[in-house]
Amino acid sequence: MKTRRHFLQSSTAVVALPVLESFGFRRFASAAAPVTPPKRLVFLGFGWGITESSWYPDITTPGPDYTLPDGLKPLERHKADFSVVQGLWNKYSNEGHWGSTMWLTGANRYSQPGQSFHNSVSADQVAAARLGMETRFGSLQLTGDESGDPSGHGPGLSLAWDISGKPLGGQKGPVEAFQRLFSKDTTPIETQRAMLAQKRSVLDTVLENARSLQGGLNRTDKAKLEEYFQGIRDIETRLGKDEQWIGVPQPEAPLDEPKPGMTGREEIKLMYDIMIAAMQTDSTRVLTYRQPVGTLMKSLDLKVHPHDMSHYHSTLGEKLDASQRRDLAQSELLAGFIDKLKSTAEADGSSLFDHVALAYGSNIRTGHELSNCPTILTGRGAGLKLGHNIVAPKDTPLCNAWLSLLHGVGVEVERHGDSSGVLKEILA
Amino acid sequence: MSPRGFILPTVVLIAPAIHSSVVIAEEPRASMSERHRALFHEHCLSCHNEEKAKGKFRVDNLPFTITDIETAEKWQKVLNALNSGEMPPEEEEQPDSVAKTDFLADLADVMVVARKELSDQKGVITMRRLNRREYRNTLRELLGVEINVSELPTDGGTGGFDTVGSNLFMSGNQFEQYQSLGREALEEAFAWQAAAAEKPHLRYEAETTTPVVTKFVAYQIDARERAKEWVKAVEEAAAKPENAEIVARLRSESKNDALFRRSWEKIPGAPSPRSFGFDKKGENDADLANDSLGAGWLPYHQYYLEQPALDRGAWLGTQTRHPAELNVNYIELLVPFNWPVGDYVVRVRAAAAADAPPERRFLDFGIHARTGKVLATHEITGTLESPQLIEIPLTLTRGHLTRENRMLFVREKGSWDTNEEGGRKRAEAVKRNGIGPELTLWVDWIEVERIPNATKPLPPGIAALAIPLDDKSPPPDAAELRAALERFATEAFRGTAPSSDYLDRLMRLHEVRLKAGDKPGMALKETLAVVLASPMFLYLAEPVVEEKSRSLTAEELATRLSYFLWSAPPDGALRDLAKSGALLQPDVLAAETGRLLDDPRSAGFTRAFVHQWLGLDRIDFFEVNRALYPRFDDGTKVAARNEIFETFEHLLRGNGSLGNLLKSDYVVINRVLAHYYGIEGVAGHGYEKVTLPAGSPRGGLLGMAAIQFMGGNGDHTSPVERGTWVLRKLLNDPPPPGPANVPQISRLADRVLTSRERVLAHQEDAQCASCHRKIDPIGFGLENFDAAGQWRTEDSYAAVDAAGKPDPKTKMTWTIDPAAAFHKGPAFADYFELRDIIAGRVDDFGRGFSMALVEYALGRPCGFSDEPLLDGIVEQAGKKEFAVREFIHALVESESFRTK
Repeated sequence: MKTRRHFLQSSTAVVALPVLESFGFRRFASAAAPVTPPKRLVFLGFGWGITESSWYPDITTPGPDYTLPDGLKPLERHKADFSVVQGLWNKYSNEGHWGSTMWLTGANRYSQPGQSFHNSVSADQVAAARLGMETRFGSLQLTGDESGDPSGHGPGLSLAWDISGKPLGGQKGPVEAFQRLFSKDTTPIETQRAMLAQKRSVLDTVLENARSLQGGLNRTDKAKLEEYFQGIRDIETRLGKDEQWIGVPQPEAPLDEPKPGMTGREEIKLMYDIMIAAMQTDSTRVLTYRQPVGTLMKSLDLKVHPHDMSHYHSTLGEKLDASQRRDLAQSELLAGFIDKLKSTAEADGSSLFDHVALAYGSNIRTGHELSNCPTILTGRGAGLKLGHNIVAPKDTPLCNAWLSLLHGVGVEVERHGDSSGVLKEILA
Repeated sequence: MSPRGFILPTVVLIAPAIHSSVVIAEEPRASMSERHRALFHEHCLSCHNEEKAKGKFRVDNLPFTITDIETAEKWQKVLNALNSGEMPPEEEEQPDSVAKTDFLADLADVMVVARKELSDQKGVITMRRLNRREYRNTLRELLGVEINVSELPTDGGTGGFDTVGSNLFMSGNQFEQYQSLGREALEEAFAWQAAAAEKPHLRYEAETTTPVVTKFVAYQIDARERAKEWVKAVEEAAAKPENAEIVARLRSESKNDALFRRSWEKIPGAPSPRSFGFDKKGENDADLANDSLGAGWLPYHQYYLEQPALDRGAWLGTQTRHPAELNVNYIELLVPFNWPVGDYVVRVRAAAAADAPPERRFLDFGIHARTGKVLATHEITGTLESPQLIEIPLTLTRGHLTRENRMLFVREKGSWDTNEEGGRKRAEAVKRNGIGPELTLWVDWIEVERIPNATKPLPPGIAALAIPLDDKSPPPDAAELRAALERFATEAFRGTAPSSDYLDRLMRLHEVRLKAGDKPGMALKETLAVVLASPMFLYLAEPVVEEKSRSLTAEELATRLSYFLWSAPPDGALRDLAKSGALLQPDVLAAETGRLLDDPRSAGFTRAFVHQWLGLDRIDFFEVNRALYPRFDDGTKVAARNEIFETFEHLLRGNGSLGNLLKSDYVVINRVLAHYYGIEGVAGHGYEKVTLPAGSPRGGLLGMAAIQFMGGNGDHTSPVERGTWVLRKLLNDPPPPGPANVPQISRLADRVLTSRERVLAHQEDAQCASCHRKIDPIGFGLENFDAAGQWRTEDSYAAVDAAGKPDPKTKMTWTIDPAAAFHKGPAFADYFELRDIIAGRVDDFGRGFSMALVEYALGRPCGFSDEPLLDGIVEQAGKKEFAVREFIHALVESESFRTK
């Protein structure tokens, strides 16, 4: 009988040894001199797109001297510090209601014969495989607390898809996110070790059961059961990580635990605060947030159904009004997030903003329009050209932008999704 | 008439072989008709050929028949380019509009066929885990408790049924959720057993409200007098000449007299409100005095006190004051926090006033009046002389921890669903009678009682353990424990015994927990929770050695059957028949199919299947505009949704024809809907069959309020939504999914047009017309139903002004014209003719129903390779006038159902 150790060896999971000199460790375990702060990658996705007539800058005025359109007005104070990128899309996307499913993957849902749905790894997870080694959490997936899909995200549990193209779950709403990051483990170290041993013992038990099941299965069923094995392997990896972090005190939460029941605008604002806190404490360096649109509209007292809102073209009126107010609210929230990124200091006196690369957008422009996906890039962490209205050639792969971001934060992969190269237009 | 009805097939379909036992030839179906070659040649080839290959895209070598993904992608690109208007380029000659429309219509259909064909699983059923519902039900059958599983991810996001295996993923996170939910279910089950004999009872007498209102009225009158005195004193001080200057300034700073009085301290000689008995506990006392002057809703409270029977009960009115101050809107009862989990019954003794109008005789029951949902609505037929007793079942779990889920309430239906809606109704009543909503419902008492479960048979999982669950009894020895774990695991794994190694590991785990300091009960639960997160519990496995298919074993067949018809594991009787092998006999299998359908657990099938088959999730996508449709309140919405399920279940019970869902001379409704529809004849308090008067638009799915409600947005109707739904769900002729990147039409936005004129704009552009010429006419025929499913003959529209509000000056009203014609099909003058045409296509409806059943039951998409199976099912059911059960029997008997 194979032991758990065999299992770990045979798996692809690689557990990094704790790097004691690493920034993350020092941050709350010692008071050594500050080192260069690490790079962070953040993706913020909203489902139903934006109002195309009032959100995009004029494409005939590319460069830094452009007029900020109404939908982006709340970002005025940061105009020199973000770029709007136009002309990007995921060419395989054909689903008018999937604003997030393939946003970070660029996959073709029909690429596998005999399957009606396929997806591939998302850009954040590519980054997490590299940037996630030294932090307590490899990556953080946040998602709005909504049932059904009023926000037009499409299938998926968050913006993130793992290496086999399976959906990754995330923390729903501020309370879950906060507790995941900051709930205190006050258990004595010895007990923590014993608990880890127990958890491993649980995994060994269910693996035994999985193996007896596996014996009789054919190829397709084995492939299905492989998901279970992969899930257990992921927990093994996590336990490995937990083991290394035993005794490293958890960071003090830089904010109070959120009250339950916050939805819509308040929820997004709190989630942004929690993301700041996660970066501030170096709990993780890769973050995604699949923002709620349905509850955001409710909190703005907009009564139009979100999907109807994105089809404002035939009647305009209250649907267009709702769409534009949604844009304003989202832009205000983003502006607030950038404020905090700029005002949160790193140990060396720089700000979080200097080390983050942030992408904000959706796979849907508006209605069922999937070209010229709304895209805003900000943060000085990836050497991006900021302050510009960047007009890329029509139908440039969105994945070119993701590839550039990955390179910018030091993840040198050759390609991502359907990328055809880096997007030179966005590089400073 | 062609087998697919009067809509000419726009896709070149190669007729499938009819014999259900023969595997059909692998002939490609996704072919563009040759009639489009001319357009293609003329408008695409000159640039996208071998030499030029503009945009690095060639179509000269593009086959008209799609057999692989690469070709499909190229055609998708052609479709997208045409849809977005990008091709042919503006400066080039444009194709004829009709030819382009036909080209697009056919290509969109061909792409649907191609995608379906290329993703055909060819009958292969992937092993799958239990979906969220099945997992919940399986725990319920095993442990006798129902737990909240909403933290698990939802299944089936890619559009298929939630039983389709390839969509049911697993992850590390989920594993941990299963472990914790399993633990929760065990805690719950152990708690049920511990409380088995308990039967606490509590009654709240509603007349408790009476002295509260009496006291409040006396207080209001007294406070108003004191407030008047204080106002008088302040005004006297203000009138003094020496105060003129300060008073003038204060008045100019204050919007009204009340705000002026708020500054009483600045007026020399003005007395404090406190000296008149107004103490706002730290806030400005003047606010309380000002408020008391108005004595808000005093006449309504006095009106309340004039009612009869206040010594024995309470009346249900509107909300007047903050409920913490005075509540005459609902009656509440808190289930004490120390009461155990279990099944309860809530009883309400109630009456309606003799002169209460029919629409004011309904009582809502729910949990937590301010934030909770309405759970049940009853019509009150009792009188003050002879009140009526209502019983409502209620299950309390360990999850019911707070006031938010233990505070029961009853109130008049729709009287205060939201502050906005309640306030609107209240204002209307004041306008009518000067006081407020008339009091029509009276409650004597409300009580709650636990139903002991001591005499009920133990749930199979608990029975299998047969060892002490608490910490008081002596713990079992190792051999006893091991045997108990083996019995429990075998039960949890639906009859498959676990390996000896697995049991060893469970024993070790238990040992470790005990050593770590767990009490025996806790250690046992932790160990059992691992069983409930093990693959043999979570997956429905049907092992095969080779890649070849084989017949299911009797045990596997039992599992497949019960998860199909119950979404739950086989019970003892079914397992016994499997064990003996008898289930493999066709007559036994048919009898068990019938028995499972007769069992209440078949609700696990009917509710989930019908919900997904008919796409009912849209019911929850939006709220109705209550200002426009005040009668479609929460209680009515609940009832309207249930009508769909109840009607299907009625058909299933009586084995009626599926065609009744297209048209019938009866409805299955309760009293709430009888009132909403204006139909007489409901005798009891549940759902029952009522014969319709001649000429009623009700009867069948199209006559149901919830179905028509889905075909709108709560404000307006949407002929497009409705037309699409009819094509998809009733006629089995789904239009292609909404295409990406078609330019939206906005040129009509500021014009005042009828809905029909607006929608007809679709016909002007080839990209839109290609689908909408099929969709929209059906929607026109349904325009006589408003957005809340009521019959209407007129509609209106007003342009919206700059502030986004309808401008009454532009309002146009028109008589609805439902006459239209199916694309290349028959014309209809009105809804009734439309319904008749649709009802004539029961074979198409039956085929769509069969496809849904196949996908749901087999847990895989229904592909072209299933054509023979579908032919067989429809043929067999057709012989029995499409009786609903025949479809199910035909599927269960089929080789596909009995084969892995």
